[in-house]
Amino acid sequence: MLHLATEAAAHPTVSEGVLWAILAAPFVGWALIVLYVRKLPLVAGWLAAAAVGVACVLSYVVLFNVIAKGGIAVHTHEWFRAGDLVVNFGVRIDGLTAVMLCVVTSVAFLVQVYSNGYMKGDPGIGRYFAHMCLFTTSMIGLVLADNLFMIFIFWELVGLCSYLLIGFWFHKPSAAAAAKKAFIVTRIGDLGLLAALLLIYTRNDGNFDVSAIQAWALNSGTPGYLVTLFALGIFAGAVGKSAQFPLQVWLPDAMEGPTPVSALIHAATMVAAGVYLMARFFPVLEASPDARHVVAWIGAATALIGATIALVQTDFKRVMAYSTVSQLGLMMLGLGALGYVAAIFHLLTHAFFKSLLFLSSGNVNHATNTFDMRLMGGLRKQMPITLVTCVIGSLSLAGVVPLAGFWSKDEILLDAWRDNRGLWVVASLVSAMTAFYMFRAIFLVFFGEYKGGQPVDHHDEDSHFHGDPAHPHEAPLVMWLPLVILAVPAIGAGIFALNHGFRNLIVDALPLEIADQIKSESSFKWGVAIASSAFAAGGILLAWAIYYKQWFSSRSIRMGFAPLTNLFENKWFFDRLYEDFFVKLVLQRGWNRLLELNDKYVVDGVVNGSARVASMASDRLRFIQSGQIQGYGLGIAAGVVAVVIAVYAANPL
Amino acid sequence: MSYDEAQGYVVLSTLAQPLLAALIILFIPATRKMAIRYVSLFFATLMLGLSVYIFTAYQIGGDSIQMEISWAWVENTAFLGPRGISLHLGIDGIAALMVLLTGIVAFAATLVSWKLDYRPKDFFILFWVLVAGVYGTFFALDLFFWFFFYELAVVPLYLLIGVWGSTRKEYGAMKLTLMLVGGSVLIWIGIFAIFNAAGLHTFDLQQLWAAGADGTIDRNTQKIFFPFFVIGCGVLAALWPFHTWSPDGHMAAPTAVSMVHAGVLMKLGAFGIIRLGIQLLPEGAEFWMPGLMVLGTIGAVYGAAAALTQRDFKLISGYSSVSHMGYVLMGLATMNSIGITGAVLQMFSHGVMTALVFLMIGALYDQAHTRDLRDFGGIAKVMPWWVVCYTIAGLANVGLPGLSGFTAEFHIFVGTFETYPLFGGLAIFAAALAAGYMLRMFSVVFFGPFNPRWKDRLHDITPLEGVAASALIASMVVMGVWWAPFTDRVSHTVTQLVGVTG
Repeated sequence: MLHLATEAAAHPTVSEGVLWAILAAPFVGWALIVLYVRKLPLVAGWLAAAAVGVACVLSYVVLFNVIAKGGIAVHTHEWFRAGDLVVNFGVRIDGLTAVMLCVVTSVAFLVQVYSNGYMKGDPGIGRYFAHMCLFTTSMIGLVLADNLFMIFIFWELVGLCSYLLIGFWFHKPSAAAAAKKAFIVTRIGDLGLLAALLLIYTRNDGNFDVSAIQAWALNSGTPGYLVTLFALGIFAGAVGKSAQFPLQVWLPDAMEGPTPVSALIHAATMVAAGVYLMARFFPVLEASPDARHVVAWIGAATALIGATIALVQTDFKRVMAYSTVSQLGLMMLGLGALGYVAAIFHLLTHAFFKSLLFLSSGNVNHATNTFDMRLMGGLRKQMPITLVTCVIGSLSLAGVVPLAGFWSKDEILLDAWRDNRGLWVVASLVSAMTAFYMFRAIFLVFFGEYKGGQPVDHHDEDSHFHGDPAHPHEAPLVMWLPLVILAVPAIGAGIFALNHGFRNLIVDALPLEIADQIKSESSFKWGVAIASSAFAAGGILLAWAIYYKQWFSSRSIRMGFAPLTNLFENKWFFDRLYEDFFVKLVLQRGWNRLLELNDKYVVDGVVNGSARVASMASDRLRFIQSGQIQGYGLGIAAGVVAVVIAVYAANPL
Repeated sequence: MSYDEAQGYVVLSTLAQPLLAALIILFIPATRKMAIRYVSLFFATLMLGLSVYIFTAYQIGGDSIQMEISWAWVENTAFLGPRGISLHLGIDGIAALMVLLTGIVAFAATLVSWKLDYRPKDFFILFWVLVAGVYGTFFALDLFFWFFFYELAVVPLYLLIGVWGSTRKEYGAMKLTLMLVGGSVLIWIGIFAIFNAAGLHTFDLQQLWAAGADGTIDRNTQKIFFPFFVIGCGVLAALWPFHTWSPDGHMAAPTAVSMVHAGVLMKLGAFGIIRLGIQLLPEGAEFWMPGLMVLGTIGAVYGAAAALTQRDFKLISGYSSVSHMGYVLMGLATMNSIGITGAVLQMFSHGVMTALVFLMIGALYDQAHTRDLRDFGGIAKVMPWWVVCYTIAGLANVGLPGLSGFTAEFHIFVGTFETYPLFGGLAIFAAALAAGYMLRMFSVVFFGPFNPRWKDRLHDITPLEGVAASALIASMVVMGVWWAPFTDRVSHTVTQLVGVTG
């Protein structure tokens, strides 16, 4: 079955089998690992890499086909039908899908290769690769899905895999708690998505298809408030998954998972799924100005909160985590400012340079047995490759010309400038802070004196650290090669923007009227570009002055801004608010105590009262209760037999 | 004998199997414990086969009642006319699914009871009588026999809990029995009132349903007696505020009884609301359903919120059952086909899921003799398969797509949103709480540092428990991935119900 969503005759000609094969390859990898090679770490690891590698190669085949042909193709099949409810299972291929497929599978492949080094010697390695394959499958499913119902299903499955992988080292209480927190917090957002799904079912004749929902939103006959409600529903889902304010609290804790997991799931793919979801339903934002303002300002708040907390973190990986929160906020801000192309472009470049940064933090951890930057320093001598790649990633993230991050961030800033100067101010502040915290981290980790790392605890039987933190060393080939490969797009991905190539590719995924409008806008403005470069340079220089030259002591600056530092170090008090107020006070002390009392005194009071009456009555009937269970059983059985005989006697066969 | 007639005998023999099992065990000496177990397993397997057959042989698009068989018992005497009271059995799409549920859960419960060592003879006799009552209730198309089987299922419960139970078993058993008997009294009164109001001199349900639909049973009578049936059956379905027996009863009950009780018996209550409420008194249903929606929603939210701070495994599952049965009642109260279909699917889904949960709790309790969450920690290390099974049950409970819970809850949410958007929102809120109580338990019990107290004292599930768990997990996965066989059968019946919209 095939139908064309656009009027254009052109559409991707890649066969449906290839698309399903992309989904199936990592799934087969998962099944093989679970069934046969759980106990063989080397086989499981390379099997996982190979399975994802196949999906990756096929994704590029699809991408080139889409670049050559343009347009949209949908292949869909009926899955089940219950009354009016018809749910399809299908794939949709267009520029947006193709780009996302390549991002997901490329990063996933490199991370799987890297994991073969990083996870070496871990007793649960089979389980690790199985979960990673299942995650990749779910993520691919999410991207390929042609209807909201399927999106929801895979959306939940990526959440499950994220839960399992954050809690991978489940014997650590912090990991178990982080996994729980991540699942519950994202689940709260997911319920918004579920509500949006139900809204579509009841208000759009049960048609969940992406194109149908886009058309529904753009149809002038659709009541505006419904479109806004729908947009806010899916945005609630995106807020959960993409760690936006006020549900941002789970992502930093999710760093309890293994570092490659953080690189793949909590930097490059799953957390970006929220941005993808909003982009997929971009016409909804076009149709509802209220919703898009909410998206833009939530994004701005998230970007600011994330960046400010990243300024004061002492944990290398958490700097990156808060940076991710902040950059995702920036993407949302871009989408809210109608920067469809800018947001997706930033998603693409961010996926590469942020996974690169996470993997380099993994290398540092591999050498020093810690993520605490106060125990590091001076690693530039021992870890030159990691240093160079990490600096490239940071420059790209900071938005320095001509690296990839500069081009994508610049487009977001431009869209913010066009839409609302307030958004632009926030975004610019955030970029300055980004440059500062990244180079603060680099100076603390790679320059100065080495502070010895974290000594190995030999009593901890679950630890698999094999090196000697006192003598750090460069990571092995499987661990530095993926970094070098990721550094290439982190430097050069800006080239895709040349001649509006990237824009034209992904804009084809939208309905024609919106696509034409986006194509008519310019995407570069000298003033914005120069301003953003100045902010980035300022941030880097400040970090250099404080942490390398030490012209000012960081301690005195902290003292100077004591109230702010306090606010940032306590993560704006969100965790305290949620845990102490909502969970402990409202839920445990208040609500549940009330329920218990109600059950105990009100409802049971009645029951126990009648029980007393009954027991008085039964005192008189005690002679029946012989206490012989056999007697009771016999009595019941005899009764049954009597009934059967009576029925039979009344009406013989 | 024609094909249709032969199908009727399949239904009859399915009902006869558990009675036959009880009868045979009655004549086995109590010391021959293995013989008793093998006989039970033989019949359990047979019943599972018959139940699967009945489910698959149900014709979608066929008659509204299939596999019928009817034997008149008392007729043309005193106040009874032709077909006054008859053993009239048959199934519709709803009953077909419930029969499948009974077969699966009874099979799993038999396997789990293998290690029961205290008076297995008496245990299995009572157990099979209970199962016979359950089958009978799902099959019965005669009001008198419906009630007879309903009581047959409920009565052995008192002894099963009181004798083989654990924590505060006498209290739990007494509380449960009192509340259920109170409910039965209401149903009994209602039955005679409706019998009189219809004036047909018969207890035949099909004739009475017709009388309810065409107004022979007048509007006011329907309005007055609908609450009798809904509250009477609602007690068994843990309808808030008549749910308080449920946590205590579950806490006291032995593993197999918890499985059958939460898995199947509670569904009898919801089934009764369909049979005696929606089908018998459609006008009463139309009038009262908004009230049931309110109570169901309170139950769904209340149960989930109460489960959040419990420390006993069984109390968590007990309150979780209150919450899920609240969803069932919400689905029924929508009075639209998708919501009621969802309610029936949820009856099945909750049945297999909760049976699995109680199976796992039992497997742990038998070894640890405590059910306090705080006594555990890091169990995943010593009981990996136990954790995997429990996690799957928990995720179905949370409504994860791909497992049966999502299939059912999605239908209920859709149905509720169509008629009562506000209550739909509350239902979704309860689903968020479900994630809270489930994951809290996971993180405290399965994960975290291993409590050295259990070193070498806990062993993973036995092969028998593994087989039982696999049967339950398979049902959850099949229903989660391939909805059609389930939704087709149920909605075939539901769309024919009088007073049910779209």
